[in-house]
Amino acid sequence: MSSDQDHLKETDTEARFEFKKEQKAAFAAEKGLNEETIRVISEDKDEPEWMLERRLRALKQFQKMPMPTDWPGQPDLSEVDVDEIVPYIRPDVEVRGGVDDWRDLPDDIKDTFDKLGIPEAEKNALSGVGAQYESEVVYQNMQERWEEKGVVFMNMDQAVQEHEDIVKEYFMTKCVPPSDNKFAALHGAIWSGGSFVYVPEDTTVDMPVQAYFRMNSEGMGQFEHTLIVAEKGSEVHYIEGCSAPKYSAFNLHSGGVEVFVGEDAHVQYSTVQNWSKNTYNLNTKRAIVEKGGRMEWISGSMGSKATMLYPASILKGRGASDNHITIAFAGEGQNIDTGAKVYHNAPETKSTIESKSISKDGGRTNYRGLVHIANGAKNSSTSVECDALMFDNESTSDTMPYMEINESTVDVAHEATVGKIGDEDVFYLQSRGLDDDDAKQMIVSGFIEPITEELPIEYAVELNRLVELEMEGSLG
Amino acid sequence: MSAQLPANLSAETVREISDARDEPEWLLEARLAALEALDELELPDVIQTPGRRWTNLEALDFETLVDPLNQSDETSREAPEDVVVLPFTEALDEYSDLIEEHFGSVVDLETNYLTALSAALFTTGTFVYVPEEVNAEDVKIRAEMNSRSLFSHTLVVTEKSSSVTILEAIESGDKSDEERYFSNLVEIAAGENSYVQYGSLQNLDEETYTYSLKRGDADTYATINWIEGNLGSRLTRSDVETELNGEASETKIVGAFFGHDDQHIDVNARVWHQAENTTADLVTRGVLDDAARSVYEGVQDVGRDAWSTNSYQRENTLMLSDESEADASPKLIINNHDTEASHAATVGQVDKEDLFYMVSRSIPEQQARNMLVEGFFVPVLEEIEVDEFRDDLEELIAARLH
Repeated sequence: MSSDQDHLKETDTEARFEFKKEQKAAFAAEKGLNEETIRVISEDKDEPEWMLERRLRALKQFQKMPMPTDWPGQPDLSEVDVDEIVPYIRPDVEVRGGVDDWRDLPDDIKDTFDKLGIPEAEKNALSGVGAQYESEVVYQNMQERWEEKGVVFMNMDQAVQEHEDIVKEYFMTKCVPPSDNKFAALHGAIWSGGSFVYVPEDTTVDMPVQAYFRMNSEGMGQFEHTLIVAEKGSEVHYIEGCSAPKYSAFNLHSGGVEVFVGEDAHVQYSTVQNWSKNTYNLNTKRAIVEKGGRMEWISGSMGSKATMLYPASILKGRGASDNHITIAFAGEGQNIDTGAKVYHNAPETKSTIESKSISKDGGRTNYRGLVHIANGAKNSSTSVECDALMFDNESTSDTMPYMEINESTVDVAHEATVGKIGDEDVFYLQSRGLDDDDAKQMIVSGFIEPITEELPIEYAVELNRLVELEMEGSLG
Repeated sequence: MSAQLPANLSAETVREISDARDEPEWLLEARLAALEALDELELPDVIQTPGRRWTNLEALDFETLVDPLNQSDETSREAPEDVVVLPFTEALDEYSDLIEEHFGSVVDLETNYLTALSAALFTTGTFVYVPEEVNAEDVKIRAEMNSRSLFSHTLVVTEKSSSVTILEAIESGDKSDEERYFSNLVEIAAGENSYVQYGSLQNLDEETYTYSLKRGDADTYATINWIEGNLGSRLTRSDVETELNGEASETKIVGAFFGHDDQHIDVNARVWHQAENTTADLVTRGVLDDAARSVYEGVQDVGRDAWSTNSYQRENTLMLSDESEADASPKLIINNHDTEASHAATVGQVDKEDLFYMVSRSIPEQQARNMLVEGFFVPVLEEIEVDEFRDDLEELIAARLH
């Protein structure tokens, strides 16, 4: 790594992720949520009428639906008062829809992404990058060779204008309707920013595309929407990263992700989430997978005060497959409630779910997952594996899997283990000259390795470093 | 309130039941308190996922099913000499104080609507008392249900360093085409260093709806092992639970079920680790044929003070037909990091290679399949200590296969 990347080795989270920039905005909506706010946002974006109507319908859904409160062991959401957040902040940049040169960004925004290492990663390992600051994408670029092949990677607001037909067909209609849950409805009402990815037939995008989401202002909500359409036989890997500085008031992140995996297509969706520990992270992510298609969800949840995230795959076509790999790390005051949902709706579908969680200093991790095998999904198989590592007695780790099997010619296996770090393992490493902290860090790195090895090397390194940051000085 | 209070149910009904049995005042009061609580109580918790309610108890018509004043059963009890095994009512004459101390102490009678209903109306059941250092084997309680509804309450109290193995079997007596309701509460208070194996075999006719809650409280060094066999009933809801309250206490919850036709079997195994060095092992094996449906929930809850816990859970379901359905949710709730816990659940069919091997040894396919299903239950059968229970269960499984 070059010397101008030295700051990335910074082990202080504040310098690394939680630094604050002055809060500046070209346009900020009023706090709270009502029909007027939504009209104002829609107008500021110059949206077509149908999108405004969808937003207003979603708002009605949101107002109608109760808060989820009766899930066993779920995070406490009583602090989440939507009327206290600023739902929409357009950053003060000249070009709407994102510039394609980092140098065209205002210094403070450019500096933010420099510190996060995004431009550097773009040079080395990515096909394209989108960067969202507050509610809007400020930077968007993709290598020309992909553009020539018809690959589209643009911010979602721009896609509404430029690819209206596709967006109108797929946007919160077939995959994640606003009625899915209260926060999906909220998202549908005030979404802003996010990415639109379209990969034409038989096109393989061989380096990942990445979007990075940054919240800078206190008390704001970020509601980006990501729509990925991968046509027959295509392949793409999408990575999202998230972070925010820490404030005393709560921030809300409620993203929506919809993925359409065409016949024999392959989509990998990777998330490394490092929201500040005052952020509520309540997302809805779902993929519909056609015949022979393959969906992979890889999630690392390190940050946030509370996360509720259960990426879902609907295996709709014969031979479709799903792979979930999730890792959750909950420290003091964090409740990371994650899992997976898979619906096997066709014969010969396969899913594998691998979940690893680490809790320490009173943190709480929950695995909550549902595997449903529909009648007629013959010769389907699923395997679920959950492992939890607990550091101390103040922490909690729950595993709550649900399996619904309506077909007999299936192979279903679920396994889970919970344990503490083995004293013998620590002793062995110490006898080899490592100190206690290093030994434990090494064991944790080994524990999460099945996840990190699925990520491009830059992100694997990043994830490992995040875990090190979390572990720093906290081990006794 | 969640279920309609049957019209024929009032404090007067409860008094009538209690008076007819010449019960002590404390028991009448406990019954009346349970009756009064009905208004506030909900039906037992049932798992609900988007678009799917795992068991639908709301559909039961308690108005018709519950006939409190016409309960009838025929129960035989066999026991070795040095242990007390008495019909619940008879036991009140001599052991009223002991029963008062433990009645409702293990099962909270107001756990839900169905437990309170059971406590208010029970007319049968057994009291088992094992004095200090007595080892009793093969206590056998066999009951026949002969009325539209039957409510049973069984209490087992074991003193220090005693041991007992029990079989409780329930089946339908007289033939009847009407829908029936059987409710069974079982409480075990296992004293220090005592051992209880409680086997239960439910084979009621398939017009009967069954609710059963069995719960044990294990003192220091005590062991409570449950064997739960469910073959009968149209709908079974069975909860088997152990609280490991004493240091180094242990429990096994072993279950077997075999559903066919349109039977619905909802079995639940739960354990709470509340003290140091406790051990739990939950094993359930189930087979489903025709349009039968099973629901399984297992919970291993490790409390903050349960240092050095070992907790294991396995659930395996074998599906013999396309129309059968199986839902399973094995849960781990871990609040102490000094824990070794695991759980595993599988759903599948008879292994094709095993079947092929047996057919290649000239065993007809149907017979080979039956042998493999019988073999599937072996881990449960092996745990059973009352020989008669093992024989009965094996016989019922074989009968269902042929």
